[in-house]
Amino acid sequence: MEHNTTETPQKTFTCQLCGLTSPFTYYGQKPPNTRAIVLLEECFMTKDPFCPEKEKFLVLGSNCSLCSMCVCVGLDCSLFYTKRFCMQCVNKHLDQFPHQIQAELAKKRQSSQAAVS
Amino acid sequence: MSSGRSRHRTWDWDSPQCRAQLDEVFFRRHDYIQAGSQDHKEFWSFFDRFQRFKTKRDMSGSGSSRKEAREQEGRDKRKSGKVDLDLPKDYDARYRINVSVCTRDIEERMGRSGKGSSGPGPQETSDCRLALLHFLDFSQKQSFGKLAKLRREQKSLPIYQYRSRIVDLVRRHPVVVVAGDTGCGKSTQVPQYLLSAGFHNIACTQPRRIACISLAKRVSFESLNQYGSKVGYQIRFETTRTTATKLLFLTEGLLLRQIQQDTTLAQYNVLIVDEVHERHLHCDFLLGVLRSLLASRPDLRLILMSATINIKLFSDYFNSAPVLQVPGRLFPIQVIYQPIPSEEQPSRSEKLDPRPYLRILQGIDQRYPPEERGDLLLFLSGVAEISTIQEACQVYATHTRRWIVLPLHSTLSVAQQDKVFDTSPPGVRKCIISTNIAETSVTIDGVRFVVDSGKVKEMSFDPKAKMQRLQEFWISRASSEQRKGRAGRTGPGVCYRLYAESDYDAFAPYPVPEIHRVALDSLILQMKSMHLGDPLSFVFIDPPPAASIQAAVTYLKEQGALDSRGELTSIGSLLAQLPVDVVIGKMLVLGSLFNLVEPVLTVAAAFSVQSPFLRSSQQNPDCATACQPLHSNQGDPFTLLNTFNAWVEVKGERGGGSRKWCRRRGLEEQRLYEMVNLRRQFRDLLKSHGLMEPVYSAPSGGDRKQRRERLTERRKLHQLKREHEQLEGSRRKVLRLEEGQEGDLSSGSDTEEAGKGRKDKAGSGQNMDIQEVKFKLRHNVSELQEAVSISQDLPSRQQALLKLLLCRGLYPQLALPDEHNSNRKDSEQVFHTRNKQGVVIHPTSVFASDPEVLHVPEDETREMGPDRRDSSRHQVLAFVTLLETNKPYLSNCVRVPALQALLLVANSIDSNADCARLVVDGWLELELREAEGALKVLATALTLRAEWEHLLQAQLKQSPAGEPEVQGVSRRVIEKLSENLVRFLLYTEISYSLRRLTAFQTQNLYIGPRPESELSQTEIPDLKPLFPGAEAKPDPIKGGLRVTSFFTYNCLADSKDLYSECLRTFWTCPNCDLYMPLTPLERMQHEASCRPAGEQQQLDKDPEDEKVATSSSVSSLTRVYHCDVCNEDLNLTSTEILKHKRQHMYSTK
Repeated sequence: MEHNTTETPQKTFTCQLCGLTSPFTYYGQKPPNTRAIVLLEECFMTKDPFCPEKEKFLVLGSNCSLCSMCVCVGLDCSLFYTKRFCMQCVNKHLDQFPHQIQAELAKKRQSSQAAVS
Repeated sequence: MSSGRSRHRTWDWDSPQCRAQLDEVFFRRHDYIQAGSQDHKEFWSFFDRFQRFKTKRDMSGSGSSRKEAREQEGRDKRKSGKVDLDLPKDYDARYRINVSVCTRDIEERMGRSGKGSSGPGPQETSDCRLALLHFLDFSQKQSFGKLAKLRREQKSLPIYQYRSRIVDLVRRHPVVVVAGDTGCGKSTQVPQYLLSAGFHNIACTQPRRIACISLAKRVSFESLNQYGSKVGYQIRFETTRTTATKLLFLTEGLLLRQIQQDTTLAQYNVLIVDEVHERHLHCDFLLGVLRSLLASRPDLRLILMSATINIKLFSDYFNSAPVLQVPGRLFPIQVIYQPIPSEEQPSRSEKLDPRPYLRILQGIDQRYPPEERGDLLLFLSGVAEISTIQEACQVYATHTRRWIVLPLHSTLSVAQQDKVFDTSPPGVRKCIISTNIAETSVTIDGVRFVVDSGKVKEMSFDPKAKMQRLQEFWISRASSEQRKGRAGRTGPGVCYRLYAESDYDAFAPYPVPEIHRVALDSLILQMKSMHLGDPLSFVFIDPPPAASIQAAVTYLKEQGALDSRGELTSIGSLLAQLPVDVVIGKMLVLGSLFNLVEPVLTVAAAFSVQSPFLRSSQQNPDCATACQPLHSNQGDPFTLLNTFNAWVEVKGERGGGSRKWCRRRGLEEQRLYEMVNLRRQFRDLLKSHGLMEPVYSAPSGGDRKQRRERLTERRKLHQLKREHEQLEGSRRKVLRLEEGQEGDLSSGSDTEEAGKGRKDKAGSGQNMDIQEVKFKLRHNVSELQEAVSISQDLPSRQQALLKLLLCRGLYPQLALPDEHNSNRKDSEQVFHTRNKQGVVIHPTSVFASDPEVLHVPEDETREMGPDRRDSSRHQVLAFVTLLETNKPYLSNCVRVPALQALLLVANSIDSNADCARLVVDGWLELELREAEGALKVLATALTLRAEWEHLLQAQLKQSPAGEPEVQGVSRRVIEKLSENLVRFLLYTEISYSLRRLTAFQTQNLYIGPRPESELSQTEIPDLKPLFPGAEAKPDPIKGGLRVTSFFTYNCLADSKDLYSECLRTFWTCPNCDLYMPLTPLERMQHEASCRPAGEQQQLDKDPEDEKVATSSSVSSLTRVYHCDVCNEDLNLTSTEILKHKRQHMYSTK
């Protein structure tokens, strides 16, 4: 995450794995004006840009619960399973994840390799 | 337990009541998702899917055994001393969601045991909550997916690598040139790079309105501000700009207008001028203006964006500005030269030979399997060429069933143009046959094959004939490359060039910039109003020919927009504010003086857009019949007026039903929408210049209930518009194989109707007509109806006046019917303008189908000799355009009575001694039978003109913003004048001949200046009273006396060279009891000063009018005259002086 205050008052979120950047408006667990909604981790959030209503939020990413790396919620960068894990940590501790997740990741890896080759 | 179960049995997830009960818990008014919202609807459909998924999973019964196995594993790992992630033992998809929803309500319901019989129990509440969590997670993933995709696409653009360099260059240099080819992403990305680097108040110009809208849409989406107004656009009728707008897309023309108001452009910090290589007139001019503006705005940043064409030209023009060149993103394109063999080359008048084109279609069918997608784009020079090739290709397409042939050019209806974006069914390719509109303006994805004829039709301007010319040329190498590039946007492509490589090498490198091809009238006018000095010394990037500038200055002088020194007149400075052609602007100003604003607004708007009458459907007999009642044989402006009025009427009665009404008449409704918008803009402009009385009824009039209703309706319309905008673009239809066969190829009415009926059904799903919605949002239909009702069924007097106004506006664009037209076939009617002989009426004009109304009635004429035909019914045409395609065509014509109109509008009227022979503008000769009547007509015309001019000046001089309630010109004076003009137009019964002068005659037209000695012999009559401020002086070139700026007396070299003295005839003034012999001039003088008794009194009584009246009728008319005989100073009018002098003359005799 970078606080790019020199040019604009806008705060920018940057994923340290894929480089995705986007301005964010709120960091925390309780997005403003959402009443009953609580997040289970501290997140970088912005107003959902693809939705006309003002109150709809979009979670961009958060910090990995193990290494604190700032990662986006993209499936290639992080995984949430009761806590946020960056992909590097997930791979490091893959064996501790439930079987379902392991299978899913293996499948994904396969298909992405197929796409590359 | 049992009660719980029984309740459970009554719970039905599909029942709306049950769902509503849950809505009470989860989707209340203040919740994240509210009942009734779009999200709410989506939730319940998600819920259904989610339940189905759960049932399926439960049935397959996976899980529990594995769970235990994994638990075992986990325990093993923990022992090996690794970090414990402390993950739950049992896998649950719920653990993958980082959102939770909890309120007291939910907690209570979930904690509740089964005893509460009403409402959802814990199980239902919990099910619903779980579904909601999954739904929230799903929505988050969806939106984030969009964001990630967007960022990926941005990164993959070639220009992405240069983003920091671009920002850096802009920071360090006042002017930067960014050059990149199609697909590099400059238009969408550069503004964003600057925005995110902290620049704001950025304006980005585009040559086309449509690009402003689509870029603003795209960039606001990409900069995640789709629903905000950080990124906006501004075009002629629409703007999304607010105070929050930081980046604005606008047209070049509009930015120029803004500079007119705000000379330093203080509202912007950064200007991006996109597509500078297209070299449009406005763009070239804009660059010139910005170049000088930079000196006074050192902080301003200017970025020029161009294709990689002629970059040095732009860099050099701005003091060697740094250039950043970005590679494009094009797939490889194979170029095949296939010059047309000589036996297939069309000769001049022949149609194109379709064989070379068909061979390419065949070749593609042979070489490429139909399952390999890829459409064909064929470039031809013009509409006629397109329909020839389309016809041939359609035959081939019908036979092979592998092609859908679609034409594309700007005169097609919007719906027809839109078809090129639809997709073809599998195994079938689109064959789009286009003008050069598809070269830059319209981008069609999926094109794999390009066929380039190498030809283009371009407008050029002939300053000598004052005529536009649409001619066919070879394209430039730059255009050729651009066309080729269209084949490689989505994949590798092939470009067939129907010319030899040696031809290509011989092409000009770049197209001729527009500034070298068009009339510069509007440009020069704008330059004058921007105080840019002498247009000849202005530093253009590529200066237009001096002759072209000179021609424009002369024209503007003729139009009265510039005075003899080339300075703006008051009407000129107003015209410069109007974003229309000078002639149309003039019409508006003239219309504002009389009570004819409403029809003039409509006509001016109609002249500024393409004709709503679609060419193709006018050949359809049904359409032609349906249109018949709209036609007016007074002229095309009246047909347009009728059409517009009838349309507004239909809109008022049937709203969206107008679409059908238009279709039945072969009208393109889009043009009518454009007209109504333009009309509104003209009205606002006239109002802001104080040329229109403000309407006093407040727009929000009506009682509270009505206002509220209107407000509710507007809210609903806005909602519809938003919904449409969201849907837009996502909906592309699949074309049917038969698509190309209908439309404008069909000549029979039945196929046309059949095709349309089908289309109707296809379109019924999207029943909403967005144009209708926009129309209702922008205009108050009942107000509009009221406005047009004024111009409906104009009484003939008003019609006559309107014709005169149009004629004065259009002057000097006049045409004379050939004298032998009545002996010719309808299709062979010939006309002449001052500079161009033998022009014809465009087939779309009412006079092409009804030429008799222009003929001099047989029984009226009297043969006065071999080629002299006298009548009081001669007419001339005023026209909007003279355009040469295969023939020189006049379009948008109106007929006016020749003598009256010419005397009232012409810039130059020359007479002989008895004023029975008049020459107008040095090319039209009018010979009036009776000198007596001639004089009367001339005198009336001169008086009317003086009065008209005077009122017009008064109207123009009044303060624009100041006090609107003080009308500079009194209504009564205007009414009097219009009444007199009408009487003059309609009731002047005088027989005369009208003909063009031959070249020989024009050579020896004038007597030329007389030596001093001769002049002193004849007394120069004092003509001041006739035209205040004008001094009758001998004309240095023509000879005779220059009475007013437009009238020169006795300068024609007549057969009978009479001295004025001999022309004295006895005359009785109808107003006073004067009876004496007078020369024509003396008589006119007297008439000008001697008003009818009644009128004089009226003038005295009306104090409002006094200001106007005194100057012309009292003070300037009398002067101090010292009579040598009486030795007295007398205060007399000039006629009185003459009378006085003559008294002595007779008495001495």
